[in-house]
Amino acid sequence: MNRKGFSSSFDYLEKELASLSPSLAADFRRALAKMPPVWGPDDIVRWAQEGLELARLAWRAWEASAEYYLASPQVLGLLGSVSFWEWARHGRELTSVSSALAAAYYRASPSTLPIIGPEGLGRWVGLGRHLYKGSWRSASLAVQFFEHSPTLFGVMSLAEASVLVRFLDVLCDRSYDLASHCLGVAPHVLRPLQGEDRLAFLRFAEELAAAGWADARAYLERGPGLLAQVEPSQRARFLSLASRIVSEEGRQAFAYFAEAGRALSQVPPELHGHLLGLAEQVASNSPVAAMEFLKSLPRVLPRLKLSELGDWHREGLQVLQMNQEGGEAYFRLESNRAEEMLDALSSRLELNKVSDVLRMYCKALTGADVAIHSAEALAQKGIGWVRTETATTEGSAIFLPPAVDEFEDKARNFSIYKVYATHQAGHLEFGSFLFRFEAPGNVFPTLRLEREQKRLQEREASDGHRQPLTDMERFFDLFDNRRLAADLFAIAEDTRIDACILREYAGIRADYRLTQVRELERRPPIEELPLVEAFMENLVRASLGGADHLSWPASLMPLLKEALAVLEAVQKPAATVEDAAEATIRLYELVASLPNVSMDESQEDWQNPEEADTAQVSPMSGAGQAEQQSQQIQGEEQPYRSPQPVEFRGEFKPELVQLLGRLRQERQAQQPPSPLSPEQIKALLEKSVEIDLQDGGEQDLQQSSNLFLTNLKRELAQEEQEAQKDKQRDRRRTTGLSTPDPSDQPLAPEPRYYFYDEWDFRAGDYKPRWCRIVEYTVAEGTASYFDQTLNRYSALVNQTRRQFELLKPELFRKIKRLLDGEELDMDAVVDYLVEREAGVSPPGKVYWRRNKVERDVAVAFLLDMSASTDEEIVKHTRRLTPDDFDDDPRKYFAWWMSRRAQELLSPPKRIIDVEKESIVLLIRALETIGDTYGIYGFSGYGRENVEFYVIKELEEPFGERVKRRIDKISPVRSTRMGPAIRHATYKLEQVDAKVRILFLVSDGRPQDHGYGRDRTEKEYAIHDTHMALLEAKRRGVVPFCLTVDRYGHDYLKQMCQDVGYAVVPDVESLPSRITQLYRELTR
Amino acid sequence: MGPADGPSCRKGKVNGSMDERTTYRQYAIEEYVLEEEPFYLPVADEVELFTAAYEQKIPVLLKGPTGCGKTRFVEYMAYRLGRPVTIVRDVTGQDTARTGLPLVTVACHEDLTASDLVGRYLLEGETTRWIDGPLTRAVKAGAICYLDEIVEARKDTTVLIHPLTDHRRILPIEKLGQVVEARDGFLLVISYNPGYQSALKDLKHSTRQRFMAIEFTYPPREVEAKVIEHESGVSREMAEALAKLGEKVRNLKEHGLAEGVSTRLLIYAGKLIASGIPPRRACQVAVVWALTDDRDVQRSIQEVVNSIFE
Repeated sequence: MNRKGFSSSFDYLEKELASLSPSLAADFRRALAKMPPVWGPDDIVRWAQEGLELARLAWRAWEASAEYYLASPQVLGLLGSVSFWEWARHGRELTSVSSALAAAYYRASPSTLPIIGPEGLGRWVGLGRHLYKGSWRSASLAVQFFEHSPTLFGVMSLAEASVLVRFLDVLCDRSYDLASHCLGVAPHVLRPLQGEDRLAFLRFAEELAAAGWADARAYLERGPGLLAQVEPSQRARFLSLASRIVSEEGRQAFAYFAEAGRALSQVPPELHGHLLGLAEQVASNSPVAAMEFLKSLPRVLPRLKLSELGDWHREGLQVLQMNQEGGEAYFRLESNRAEEMLDALSSRLELNKVSDVLRMYCKALTGADVAIHSAEALAQKGIGWVRTETATTEGSAIFLPPAVDEFEDKARNFSIYKVYATHQAGHLEFGSFLFRFEAPGNVFPTLRLEREQKRLQEREASDGHRQPLTDMERFFDLFDNRRLAADLFAIAEDTRIDACILREYAGIRADYRLTQVRELERRPPIEELPLVEAFMENLVRASLGGADHLSWPASLMPLLKEALAVLEAVQKPAATVEDAAEATIRLYELVASLPNVSMDESQEDWQNPEEADTAQVSPMSGAGQAEQQSQQIQGEEQPYRSPQPVEFRGEFKPELVQLLGRLRQERQAQQPPSPLSPEQIKALLEKSVEIDLQDGGEQDLQQSSNLFLTNLKRELAQEEQEAQKDKQRDRRRTTGLSTPDPSDQPLAPEPRYYFYDEWDFRAGDYKPRWCRIVEYTVAEGTASYFDQTLNRYSALVNQTRRQFELLKPELFRKIKRLLDGEELDMDAVVDYLVEREAGVSPPGKVYWRRNKVERDVAVAFLLDMSASTDEEIVKHTRRLTPDDFDDDPRKYFAWWMSRRAQELLSPPKRIIDVEKESIVLLIRALETIGDTYGIYGFSGYGRENVEFYVIKELEEPFGERVKRRIDKISPVRSTRMGPAIRHATYKLEQVDAKVRILFLVSDGRPQDHGYGRDRTEKEYAIHDTHMALLEAKRRGVVPFCLTVDRYGHDYLKQMCQDVGYAVVPDVESLPSRITQLYRELTR
Repeated sequence: MGPADGPSCRKGKVNGSMDERTTYRQYAIEEYVLEEEPFYLPVADEVELFTAAYEQKIPVLLKGPTGCGKTRFVEYMAYRLGRPVTIVRDVTGQDTARTGLPLVTVACHEDLTASDLVGRYLLEGETTRWIDGPLTRAVKAGAICYLDEIVEARKDTTVLIHPLTDHRRILPIEKLGQVVEARDGFLLVISYNPGYQSALKDLKHSTRQRFMAIEFTYPPREVEAKVIEHESGVSREMAEALAKLGEKVRNLKEHGLAEGVSTRLLIYAGKLIASGIPPRRACQVAVVWALTDDRDVQRSIQEVVNSIFE
């Protein structure tokens, strides 16, 4: 075929094309040259003609036409003739709609068609067409779609793309920019997902977009990352679960999805399937609850085993079926029920749950003030202890692992704690740390002094001897190998302590034995250890009561036997810590003869010493002989390593404890600066094997020893404070009443925190520890405010005081006409006799008794200090209108000036001012009758930060400071009444009084951030407040609400159903009303 | 028995002579004498001190926590100091000499009035009749008058005993216009527990400075074990374990407990054990639950119990 011939025959066509656009003809020519040789002339003409017709379709259709020509050669090659015409037809249709669209279509075709194939052509065009809505913005989106098609389909299938388009479609209604952005990032973000997941992900996206388009972008960008955390096979399941929530929660759905996804990422992937299954069960009742369930998993799973989780879940389902809100709160862990269930089901025992019990237990055992802390806390202090999971003591406190989860039930886990604590308490009770170098033991003759003399003589020549800081240090100075000596001492002393405990506490024997047996099972294989370590291992096992777990080379048997005898001796009732020290010397001597070499098992016959008795061949016996034997042992000497620690005994650091003890004593004795110099500490660090510093590299020993010293000092200072606190807590527990202790009031105004539940009326349950009360003492202003107020109201003050004086009861009132009493009432007797004479049978009520009437009232005033109390009180005076000035600016100006002047003289009164004035008057009145009263204010923002201001504590005497605090009462923020009422109730409970009154003064309804489902919801807050008032009532406190909100009746009726309340519509009468109400309330 | 002993004695019985209608024994208050020697183990020199005080007619104040043996001590001393008693009012003619000093015990409470101690008029027929209160009777009988928990009584009541406690040793009876001189053997003994009473209920200084004071604490472990063994009838080992429990629980005083466990409670626990109740359970009901309502403290003490008893 002659192409040249063709080209000449297209002269006319080219001319036509050129008339539309000069470049079009050139494009045509170029395309023509490239056309694959599959067509005859007819087809070519038809093709060329098509382009011309295309170009004529619309004003700028030549652009599309150009693209058509340019794409044709490749497309024809890809599609073949039949499909090509279909392709062209689609193009023409698009051109008739928008030439730009068509141009994009043609342009994208060569690279898109290979991916989707001829069969996908129609759907592809349809998708693009679908996005076009006739506006130019929709056009550009559709163009973008075609342009991105190659990359898009490189990632996803047509089916997926159609979901994506639907998703974009939804977004278009809102924002083309957003849609365009999403389209742009889609290929990139979707790439990491698997095929099926991608479809599910997009479906969810579509639903999400329909519900809340604003999150679409976040979802699209972050979603795949979140989804990737979920176990791959479970992703589709998770998404379908998430999409169920969309219809309910709308735009919140993405937050749920994100949080649940994050939660799942914190859970082992192999559990995802099981957990999603549980969530699906929940979802059939409430998709929200299902997501809440997933969200709570990271907090729930550490506490529950999988089987227990099932029970917890079942319980939640039941709650859910009865009450949807309740179920959702349950799974959100915002209900007491959920917490209780968790607690009941969980076998894991956390230290903070039992630390109070253990503290008192140890206190009972030792008689000393022992604090219980988590071992983590000790390690963090950086004073020589580094292990976070083992029990230990530093002399004044016992440190235990933060949680125990070894057994299936709490009771047995508790017994572990108990064994740990008892052993540590044993160190304190039986005086491990009271070691005195010069005190003799009861069992062994003393070798220490002699040994010290010998060593001193040896050493004198070499270096100047430093005075040891503690008796323990002096003792360990006796040995060359301090680590070995310390390990031996630990074994001997632990053995002694265990023996003491088992002797003294018969009840704990069973648990103790059990623990020892478990420890024995964990011991490393003895025969593999080098000789010295094997020897130590045998001692440890023997100390655990594992006589049948011992194993030792037969030839060296006498050595071990002697050691065992020493260990036996420490277990005698008379043995003291000094005996343990003597035992250490003897054991050390025995070990010293042993080389630390690995024994060839085949060479030696390892035996249990009990069997060994019969197997003893050698007529010679005794340690001396064994010593000789041991010298013959050949092998490479290995560095000594301490035996594997015994779990329940934890860490034993007598040297360090004695050091701390010494520092403590010096502190208490208020001695001048500690005589411990950094050099001394450093020297101690260098030789002590007990002190492990976390980052104790050799080079920065100086630095770490300084750190160690500062840590120590800080620690001791803190200790004193804590001991104080513990004491206070106990005292409160003991008396629960009156006697205020001056030391109870900390000098520093550091805030104190309290936690309270909050009532969720929808869930019908409390949200556990939901609100945090922060208690402050109000700053002090000037006392003059108080006195000025009294002056201003002097008339009212006198009046109220007189009224209150009437309330003051007579101390003893005579009650007459009683059947039994103190004395005969002679008047009654005369009457009695007269009546009897008259033949009437008189009642024998002829006695009188003095009845002691005590006015025993405690009242807590709770002032609303919310921002709304800042409002000025609107006076009921006629407002001047412009008419009053006859449009005369001078008159108006004069009026304005006079008003300003007046305002400056007496600023407008605010609600809080009236509240303050009322308080001043009340104080006056209350001081007259001697009631116990406290004045508190509350405000805050959000549940974490409910501020509770103390103006006067119940037991605090009235004085200048209180006066000054009143001056500083000022509006702060919101009104979360519930927790404030609960806290005030708690305060009242601490006071010993017959009548306890809680007097709440507010200016409106309770309101706070998060105090209800949203800002406008009032129900929740009212219900919680109501519940708080009921709680107060249940605890024997009489609550009373007073509000200055004129419209208060509306909600007070509901809030104070069974509680007294009053509305003072005229704010300014509050001072007189409040005193009047109080009088009536307490009469 | 005279009709004068108040309503509760109307169908009364006199000690010794048996009446077929009554199976209980009832005494006129000043005639109550301990017949058997009460068990008491001296801890320190309290016996000598009390004897000296009795001889020198110095009133005695016994201080100490509840259940540490104050009352038992007074009983023991009353028995020890006993001598033939002549009963003042001839009630039955059974004035046999008996061992033991009469002991008049009055448990004080906040409504205890002066008349409750001294005496009051009663209606009888057309007239009134005076009856002596327990204090008057003790004064007349020369008994040991033991006012238990004296601080509980009203302050105006407490003042009443003042003339009895100094050199005068008289009891003015205002309503009769009389003054009664105390008989030779009369001794006023009061007790109080400085531990739990609040500051409000402290003893007035004018009152407390009229007494010599003997301080009681819980006995040491060995002594307490003997007491428990004797009183409850448990084995030596069990008594020692109970005494150990007592010592441990008392460590918690001021740290969760207002008062340590009393010897009395330990004896109760011992008695329950002697009757076959398992030791842990016996201690639970007699010690743990009796001591406190605080769950945490209960749990702690229970754990101590569990550690000591199998």
